[in-house]
Amino acid sequence: MLTVGDKFPSFTLSAVKPGAEGLGGPGKSFTEISDASDAGKWKIVFFWPKDFTFVCPTEIAAFGKLAGEFADRDAVVYGVSIDSEFVHLNWRVHNDDIRDLPIPMLADIKRELSSALGILDKQAGVALRATFIVDPEGTIQWAAVNGLNVGRNPQEVLRVLDALQTDELCPCNWEKGHETLQPQALFEHAG
Amino acid sequence: MSLEALRARLPEYAKDLKLNLGSLATEPALTPQQRAGTFIASALASRNAEVTKALVAEFGAGMAPEALTAAKAAAAIMGMNNVYYRFTHLVGGDYPNMPAKLRMNVMARPGVDKLDFELWSLAVSAVNGCGMCMQSHERVVTQGGLSREQVQAAVRIAAVVHATAAVLDGEDALR
Repeated sequence: MLTVGDKFPSFTLSAVKPGAEGLGGPGKSFTEISDASDAGKWKIVFFWPKDFTFVCPTEIAAFGKLAGEFADRDAVVYGVSIDSEFVHLNWRVHNDDIRDLPIPMLADIKRELSSALGILDKQAGVALRATFIVDPEGTIQWAAVNGLNVGRNPQEVLRVLDALQTDELCPCNWEKGHETLQPQALFEHAG
Repeated sequence: MSLEALRARLPEYAKDLKLNLGSLATEPALTPQQRAGTFIASALASRNAEVTKALVAEFGAGMAPEALTAAKAAAAIMGMNNVYYRFTHLVGGDYPNMPAKLRMNVMARPGVDKLDFELWSLAVSAVNGCGMCMQSHERVVTQGGLSREQVQAAVRIAAVVHATAAVLDGEDALR
């Protein structure tokens, strides 16, 4: 499984659009999302094993509820399973919890992304409950994986994102006796 | 309300402030943007609505919108950092080594020349009275190429704007 410091694999997947747009029906519901989409943003990419199973909608809806919080932190959220975009759409239509889901559902039907990440369950052949935080440069900064039946806490993902984004950039952080701040380095780091 | 109207509001006993305000408004050591942002950030840090309105009206119009926003951002973020880091500097112990766990991402991308943003942060630190914040921001701006005269000019602006705000607070209280 890929981990912190690894480059998130490149991908191009069909997806059900977020929100009301996603319910427009075939031809209107779908879009394509790739590693080049949402350039410059942080990305939260989370996987679930199968559509229409029980733990999933609660968990996906919980990510959806926090979409605004993630957006405030310059982050986009992608939900992924190995089901097709048509199955995703059907699930959206038929499940009250995720009908208004404000995040896209990506279809990794060829299991290419899940395989590249190393998160396919060896017996079941479906994606484990893996979650990745990817920085704007495309590098994985956090990776976590649960077994097929263990749900996740999206609030924890938000907490980790906060911690990743919380750099003490203020020169006030300087301490007497420590190495003098290098303003040029500081500006380059910040730039 | 303009700078002239604000100066007119200062009573006779604060005539020195009135004259200082007038001369600092054209202080030649600073670029127009540095000067304008210093006035505005210092006004916001000094918390008097009349002073803030007058100085934003006087200096904000000549600034690029993103620079005006950055001056406000300097006052906002330093309002937090001055209190937090003053605590760690004064109390010491383990506190300076503990991660602050506070977001201050605007400092990385203030939307304006970083040296100007640092200068405004220094002016706000002077108003808020955080000693080591002043030392460390002074270090950054001088190493970034600003002269002692430029730093001094920014702090002179902060001092006069702060005093003006205090006088108007007092006058309002006695009205």
